[in-house]
Amino acid sequence: MSTQPPLPAGAEEISTAGFNLYVGPIYRLPDVRAGGDGRFCFPVAEKHMNSAGSVHGGMLMSFADVAMSQTARFGTDFTASHTVSLNCDFVGPGRAGDLVEAHVRVTRRTRTIVFLSCDVVAGDRTLLVASGVWKIA
Amino acid sequence: MSTESPLPGYRETRLIDPFEIFIGPIFESGAKGERRFALRIDERHVNRRGSLHGGMLMTFADATLGAAAADLADGGVAVTLNMQSHFLAPAHAGDVVEVAPTLTRRTRSMLFIRGDFTVGGETIMTAASIWKVLGRT
Repeated sequence: MSTQPPLPAGAEEISTAGFNLYVGPIYRLPDVRAGGDGRFCFPVAEKHMNSAGSVHGGMLMSFADVAMSQTARFGTDFTASHTVSLNCDFVGPGRAGDLVEAHVRVTRRTRTIVFLSCDVVAGDRTLLVASGVWKIA
Repeated sequence: MSTESPLPGYRETRLIDPFEIFIGPIFESGAKGERRFALRIDERHVNRRGSLHGGMLMTFADATLGAAAADLADGGVAVTLNMQSHFLAPAHAGDVVEVAPTLTRRTRSMLFIRGDFTVGGETIMTAASIWKVLGRT
């Protein structure tokens, strides 16, 4: 078992129910830039791995989905956000002991549709890049 | 944890990735290379609104399209390069999601595999994926 790096200051747990709680914990990080962008993290645990010793692609996509869904609602009165489309490129493997971060950018926001992109990184390694479309309601 | 009963006509898929075991079980029918898969949605798989979590559905897609890729990899290991998911309709706890992955194109080192994910015959999500085949002997 590898040791986990400490959580960044101000990390707030957002995995409170259902699937997020089951695969989490997942945290929102405070130093969000202006413009509705979001920053999130999760510490890699044994349950997240595949048999090759990397973080399972399903967990990386789930984490991107959670981070982008939350960011889609930031600064709005909407309480629900539904993933319409998500495209994920698997750039490199996540490892045991990684503190994985998601950096989310809003590309365009219309009244009910939000276009987002997301880099999922561990330190200076990029694990996954994603872009997607969300419907907020 | 709910107790899972095998679905009629399906057997339990042998899973080796810790993350897939964590979110499983997954069921399958058919011969290697033509397997179809099923997942019974339970309370671990849904969001706070009781709908199947997009991350869970993408994890099921990664596991099942990946199982199809492994069947086709001639003893090599298939790793995900890309997955694009379109979410068409919601699903809920108790529903059974089914998919029959199909090979769209095979090159010397890549597999293009897609799947329509259905509940009771209605497509709730489509996924198109690209896999790199490593270490074929």
